[in-house]
Amino acid sequence: QTKWDLPAAYPATNFHTVNLTQFAADVDKATSGKLKITVHAGASLFKAPEIKRAVQGGQAQIGEILLPAYQNEWQMFGADGIPFLATSYAESKKLYAAQKPILEKKLAEQGMMLLYAVAWPPQGLYSKKPINSAADLKGNKWRAYSPATSRIAELVGAQPVTVQAAELSQALATGVVESNMTSGATGVDSKLYEHLKYYYDVQAWLPKNAVLVNKKAFDALDKPTQDAVLKAGAEAEARGWAASEKVNTDTLATLKANGMEVLPPSPQLKADLQKVGETMLKEWLDKAGADGQAMLGAYRK
Amino acid sequence: MNEILVTSLLIVALFLLLGSGVWIGLTLAGVAWIGMELFSSRPAGDAMAITIWGSASSWTLTALPLFVWMGEILFRTKLSESMFRGLAPWVNALPGRLLHTNILGSTIFAAVSGSSAATCATIGKMTIPELSKRGYPAEKVVGSLGGASTLGLLIPPSIIMIVYGVAAEVSIAKLFVGGVLPGLMLAALFSGHLMIWALLNPAKVPKADADMSLAQKLAESRHLIPVVLLIGGVIGSIYTGIATATEAAAIGVVGALILSAAQGSLNRSTFVASLLGATRLYCMIALILAGAAFLTLSMGYIGLPRHLAEFVSGLGLSPGVLLVALALFYILLGCFLDGISMIVLTMGVILPTVTAAGIDLIWFGIFVVIVVEMAQITPPVGFNLFVLQGMTRREITWIARVCAPYFGLMVLALLLLWWFPGLVTWLPSRM
Amino acid sequence: MRKLLDSLYTGSAWLAALFMIGVLAMVLLSIISRVAGFHVPGTDAYAGYAMAGAGFLALAHTLKSNEHIRVTLIIGKLTGGARRGMEMWALGVATLLSGLLAFYAWRLAWQSHEFHDISTGNDATPLWIPQILMGIGCTVLFIAFVDEWILEMQGRRARAGSDTRHE
Ligand code: NA
Ligand code: NA
Repeated sequence: QTKWDLPAAYPATNFHTVNLTQFAADVDKATSGKLKITVHAGASLFKAPEIKRAVQGGQAQIGEILLPAYQNEWQMFGADGIPFLATSYAESKKLYAAQKPILEKKLAEQGMMLLYAVAWPPQGLYSKKPINSAADLKGNKWRAYSPATSRIAELVGAQPVTVQAAELSQALATGVVESNMTSGATGVDSKLYEHLKYYYDVQAWLPKNAVLVNKKAFDALDKPTQDAVLKAGAEAEARGWAASEKVNTDTLATLKANGMEVLPPSPQLKADLQKVGETMLKEWLDKAGADGQAMLGAYRK
Repeated sequence: MNEILVTSLLIVALFLLLGSGVWIGLTLAGVAWIGMELFSSRPAGDAMAITIWGSASSWTLTALPLFVWMGEILFRTKLSESMFRGLAPWVNALPGRLLHTNILGSTIFAAVSGSSAATCATIGKMTIPELSKRGYPAEKVVGSLGGASTLGLLIPPSIIMIVYGVAAEVSIAKLFVGGVLPGLMLAALFSGHLMIWALLNPAKVPKADADMSLAQKLAESRHLIPVVLLIGGVIGSIYTGIATATEAAAIGVVGALILSAAQGSLNRSTFVASLLGATRLYCMIALILAGAAFLTLSMGYIGLPRHLAEFVSGLGLSPGVLLVALALFYILLGCFLDGISMIVLTMGVILPTVTAAGIDLIWFGIFVVIVVEMAQITPPVGFNLFVLQGMTRREITWIARVCAPYFGLMVLALLLLWWFPGLVTWLPSRM
Repeated sequence: MRKLLDSLYTGSAWLAALFMIGVLAMVLLSIISRVAGFHVPGTDAYAGYAMAGAGFLALAHTLKSNEHIRVTLIIGKLTGGARRGMEMWALGVATLLSGLLAFYAWRLAWQSHEFHDISTGNDATPLWIPQILMGIGCTVLFIAFVDEWILEMQGRRARAGSDTRHE
């Protein structure tokens, strides 16, 4: 019997984690208990930024990471965090297909393999005040939690504010933060409706969680077990994308039910953000080089 | 049966290393290492380094060294002396007199700090020397501080509530509000205990100062102005949105420096002494935190807390019995692990059971926070015990003994919350 | 040699104290930048690295100041050879563990360099740079434990009674 540890950063009830737990159970069943995968949810084994290197270094055989979080390391990881490039589930799947070969190559160089990836629901704009155009965001205290969200703030003239997720709720209550860009799902998880009134469904990007496997650990399995892992992974991927769409619909309804105004962006806001997206795509391409061009070419084909 | 073997082996190793005088932080790391080498197939060293680095450089902890520094600065000012002068006339009639400053100070400081170690270190720096100088018995001075400073967790802001809130997906704001009444209730229980003890042992409480008229009392209260300004400034910076709860510690350091300068006690040598003193005290705590982080990781790999939690969950108990079982489970775990680790390692398993039993998750959050508070003062691994040992140089067994009554009062608080759940749920329901 | 070692411990303690000021500076900067309306990316991460520096670099000095805590219930009751044996055992275990810590701390920094592990935050710092602080701090602690072990063996180690109060 082989035992694998699977560190994951999100709480046990998050749809990604629920999917992982199901995946582990499927593997257990398909291999008749020969491979036991323990899911360590809620960052209980390793914290989010440590998970990738834990898999890379063999401290965990398998782990789940948020891809765009690793953009600092390699620009291609940030491809699904480029705002307004892929803004629907269909586009996001297309982007994933274009990214996949490049990602797989890089991960193979790092001694890992990509088992599957599932998108988060699209990112929307949460705000205390109504926002009808980018001009309304000028001077607005905007939570900058990643390089991309910082850059958006700079481009629209908002004031980027550094506040950790743990302190967000308090920061919103005291006015340290006035706007935030994240998904409906995260908004429900962190109860953003307690302090913010408006949600603009701008569908900025659909970041993906990827499940990575340490190649050495995978190679050490016998063939039937390897196949079982791959098969369960493929099923988890399909299940995860469907769950994500459902979570998107459900959580927007939850936001509404809790008194939030869930609105489509005004044409002006949409146009303004589109312009931000173009600038950021250009900047990203400059840094991502040939890989970036290749991916974009495949995506736009 | 394997579980029992693993557990006993690790506990034996823990007591052997601790008892033979190995430094506490290193002992925890050593036990974690033994656990990983014997009961998991993972390479221990690399995992240890990642985890210790992660915990030592984590932004969430930055308030701790800053609050420790604030305490070291204030310790070198006349602030505590003047605070006691201002308070003394008002508490003369109260049985226990100035002993209540530990409770009052911790309760107020808990509204600034989210950790009990920081509360213990900062308040202790001000009250321990002053109360000892005035002749209050050491056991009551240290015990009441150890007990009351755990309120740092229950009175918002609170790191542990954020951890629980994220795991249980309940509103952190509601948890914060839910902790207010139980926190005040615990403070009242602690004060009540001191009063009863003082009435039973009148000889052990130092004599009251001469009686004063109301006007005189009010005049003496002017000595409270600096401390009120300082604490008010720090709390104010959080609630006006100038600083987050973590950043408020920096406001505290600056405030303490200004106060120290205004009183004329700030000079090169006191500044350097406070800085080096704070660095050492923080370093002492950091080594233990590092060992504890590695022990948590090791426990995560071995799965011991998880299996115990699964066992309790699988018993199919009624809500009341389940809570008793969980309280015992967490008290036992709390002897060996720190609070945040307990929550992180077990919540995934415990929460579905608690939800299925129909227990309110906000109420359960407060229940868990109080149990974690108890863990801060139970030996052999209790962070408040360690901070107090660092400050008083007493044996940890003595400190654990003088803190024991407050452990009992927290058990009583759990019972009261069970009988009167509204103490927790009433305020959040009005939000 | 004695002088060299002592200045190693004090020197790294002074560095630790500077990092303590660094924590304060970084947190203040994040408050001030927000109030004044400018943005300095990554202050939170820098505060974290500075805190790690303050903690690790002070380890040896804190040990030498007898401020790292341990249970002296049994050891304190022993005298003569038994006491020395027990002290050497405790110091030996501590030397071994701090040695492991130092070795793996350097390995961590080296691996971070090999893996190109870069902070995922706004600071985008290559992590091996701050992790060097952990390597240095743990190594100095290891040296201090070896030093104490030798002093104990030679019977020249200052007896730390339980009456030395903090400040
Ligand atoms: Na608090
Ligand atoms: Na404990």
